[in-house]
Amino acid sequence: MNLQYSGEETITADKATVWKFINDPEQVGRCLPDVVDVTVHDPTHFDAVAKVGVGPVRGNFKFKFELQPSAAGDRMDMKITGGGFGSAIDLTAGADVIEAGQGTTKLNWSGQAVARGPVAAVGGRVLDAQAQKLISQTFANVRERLSAASG
Amino acid sequence: MSTDTTIKGSLGVPMKRKEDPRFIQGKGNYVDDLSFPGMLYMALVRSPYPHAEIAGIDISEAMKVPGVVAVITGKDLEAAGLGWLPTFHGLDKQMVLAIGKVLFQYQEVAAVFAESRGAAADGAEAVQVDYNPLPVVADPFTSKKDEVLLRPDREAKTNHIYHWEVGDRDRTDQALQASEKRIRQRMWFPRCHPAPLEPCGCVAQFDKMGRLHFHVTSQAPHVYRTAVSLVTGIPEDKIHVISPDIGGGFGNKVPVYPGYVCAIVGALKIGRPVKWIESRTENLTSTGFARDYHMDVEIGAKADGTVTALKVSTTADHGAFDAAADPSKYPAGMFGIVTGSYTFPTAHAEVDAFFTNKAPGGIAYRCSFRVTEASFAIERGMDILADELGMDPVELRRKNFVKKEQFPFPSVLGFTYDSGDYHKTLEVALEKIGYQALLKEQAEKRAKGELMGIGISTFTEVVGAGPSKHFDILGIKMFDSAEIRIHPTGSGIVRTGAKSQGQGHETTWAQIVAEELGLDPQNILVEEGDTDTAPYGLGTYASRSTPTAGAALAMAARRVRERARKIAAHLLEVGEGDVEWKDYKFQVKGVPAKSVTMKEVAFAAYTNMGQNEPGLEATQYYDPPNMTFPHGAYIAVVDVDRDTGEVKVRRFLAVDDCGTIINPMIVEGQVHGGLTEGFAIAFMQEIQYDKDGNNLNTNFTDYLVPTSLETPHWETAHTVTPSPHHPIGAKGVGESPNVGSPAAFVNAVVDALSPLGVRHIEMPVTRDKVWRAIRDAEAKKGQS
Repeated sequence: MNLQYSGEETITADKATVWKFINDPEQVGRCLPDVVDVTVHDPTHFDAVAKVGVGPVRGNFKFKFELQPSAAGDRMDMKITGGGFGSAIDLTAGADVIEAGQGTTKLNWSGQAVARGPVAAVGGRVLDAQAQKLISQTFANVRERLSAASG
Repeated sequence: MSTDTTIKGSLGVPMKRKEDPRFIQGKGNYVDDLSFPGMLYMALVRSPYPHAEIAGIDISEAMKVPGVVAVITGKDLEAAGLGWLPTFHGLDKQMVLAIGKVLFQYQEVAAVFAESRGAAADGAEAVQVDYNPLPVVADPFTSKKDEVLLRPDREAKTNHIYHWEVGDRDRTDQALQASEKRIRQRMWFPRCHPAPLEPCGCVAQFDKMGRLHFHVTSQAPHVYRTAVSLVTGIPEDKIHVISPDIGGGFGNKVPVYPGYVCAIVGALKIGRPVKWIESRTENLTSTGFARDYHMDVEIGAKADGTVTALKVSTTADHGAFDAAADPSKYPAGMFGIVTGSYTFPTAHAEVDAFFTNKAPGGIAYRCSFRVTEASFAIERGMDILADELGMDPVELRRKNFVKKEQFPFPSVLGFTYDSGDYHKTLEVALEKIGYQALLKEQAEKRAKGELMGIGISTFTEVVGAGPSKHFDILGIKMFDSAEIRIHPTGSGIVRTGAKSQGQGHETTWAQIVAEELGLDPQNILVEEGDTDTAPYGLGTYASRSTPTAGAALAMAARRVRERARKIAAHLLEVGEGDVEWKDYKFQVKGVPAKSVTMKEVAFAAYTNMGQNEPGLEATQYYDPPNMTFPHGAYIAVVDVDRDTGEVKVRRFLAVDDCGTIINPMIVEGQVHGGLTEGFAIAFMQEIQYDKDGNNLNTNFTDYLVPTSLETPHWETAHTVTPSPHHPIGAKGVGESPNVGSPAAFVNAVVDALSPLGVRHIEMPVTRDKVWRAIRDAEAKKGQS
């Protein structure tokens, strides 16, 4: 089951601050909705445990994150693999980091998710909304945290 | 001497099932009811990926879960020489636990053993498997291109498993070319699953002497014993297989599954009993499915409707392993029955099977080795031909039926049909349903734009595998067996190599023996499923129990009777030649007053046997000389809602001819059950995979089993054409309704839609498919 999403967040912080934030595994990990635990391995790799509920499938899912920052410092790609309850979810998400004037920065993000196993089958009807929430909420959390810090 | 005049025949009596009080009161004894001291529970780790390399398996977290005792992986099994399991026809092998890569979603990857079911599940969740996804092949047509090789472990580096064909290709092609009328239709019999209410499971236990006692949901316990011995190397005398009560099998419980091997290995390694019970999802996603045949059907005919040729080319999806438990000489099962009830002068059938990243299997669900697919192909094909000819489908069938006087009938594809009266069975059906009145009603409704359909299916089955010269499983010939012991007081115990899963053997077997010996069926105990006590047999599937074990039983009973005759002669003080068996007792020829009952003879066999051998028992192994060929005429009447696509099955009549009927009530029950399954297949059941290889029907929310709310009212009737070679003339009926009914349902829906120009609709015939067919047809009409 392939799912695709995109969105945009405007953050009240300058581009350098945003770039620094999204390059910090600990910070990015904590932006995952319903996150339970984050274990950082190195500057670009971390594991996160999050509570997930898709239809009757509920519990902790473990995700491995790999951050892939662009050399130019204007795009961040993320590879996320994980799952739980015999299910596998592979996500890729990327965001263009754009200077938006007046001390604000835009994150133009898009992502896609591939789900396999009971999550795809049992939760097929609600998975779409859940995956969208997972990705969009992560970027919304990035905005909130940064905006709160700068405000 | 006997004055007993109360002995009655037992054959054909609608006796209530002897086993039912146990089942109705919840007192059945199923595998999951068993518990042994120190018993562990096993859970399987399954792959979420349909095709992926296994980069690593980390069991360390699982071992920390409280209660987890051990975890085994494919590597452990491979090291012990148990990495692979031979499939039943011996033409392929199947991974027990994944080695190197996984080939279908929900494939078994590791086994976790723990003190409780919950701990085992938690342990399975904690096993970390690192997968590297590989390209997925989710249909046989992609597989055919060989762009992704799924089974590099096999010698032949192709996804093509086999090509099988029967008949004369050139002659058939020529006849088709020369035909005045010709139809061609691709039809897919979708992948479905029998979904028995009790999933598969086992308890493996080694006793203090190292002997394995293996309780398992098996339709073929003796074959399991031999298979377990061949796979594990444990001598067969050290293996005791017990199939207790089984909650439905339908072919799903014929193959040996990886979970069974893991449970045995766990019990041996840990030294404690191990129980494994599948979940519903595990059953639907990894055990024997049914069908998945893409069939190109071509029929040629003269303008008057006389058929001239039949050609069927099939592409089969066998999943990740070739685990369809067909007899070894018949990789496409009995598909050669595809000429059905008709006299085709020439025919050709071929099947090409392919591996895909889907669960393995193919021949479950009450189908006697691909007979269901074949029957669907010909019965749908005949209706399409009738449409092409503008002829009543009933008339077309009548014109081409094998005639009563042609039996035994050699079919052009190699079977010898034993007996039948197709015209009579159809006439009974037409009269009972009121065909002429229905046609009149349909014409009136059509005039008003209403959609009413009448669907006919006049199928012929081939069941009762089978003659040893043709049929085997793992090389073991497909005979069957029976043993009878009569006790001093005239009761007895009967054992066979078959194994009931709901068919009612405890009753029908008792009736056969009681009929042959003049005893009370209530006092004939039937015991099956224990390899320590039952004679060797190949089990119950493919409608084979009555044609094989039932025949063995009648013959064993006749052996008992011959021994009893000697004792009767002693009791009656005459020569054996002066004793005749009449009215269910022995009597002196011409002197009916001088008689003894079997009960009296039984007592004498232990107390007053004279010079005769004491005791009264017999064993019979039976190798059937031919298959049996039950047939039937089914008629469905449907109304289709033009606006919503909803199909209402208004009436359904099944007239079956299964030869001699042992217990009409049990036959009726079998027919009701099979029709309900056929209805489900036609209208609601499909195991769907998306293009990424995800199984989308993993539970009863997404894979539908009909309830009494949806199920139509069934009308049944019978004609009786005994099998000439079966000792009591019986043919078997278990699978007929599932084989014959899908075509009747679909023919009825297509007939309803035919005024719109619809000629075919694929199963399952869901509301949205019907609605779309109506919409598309109306749009097309609007354009023209």
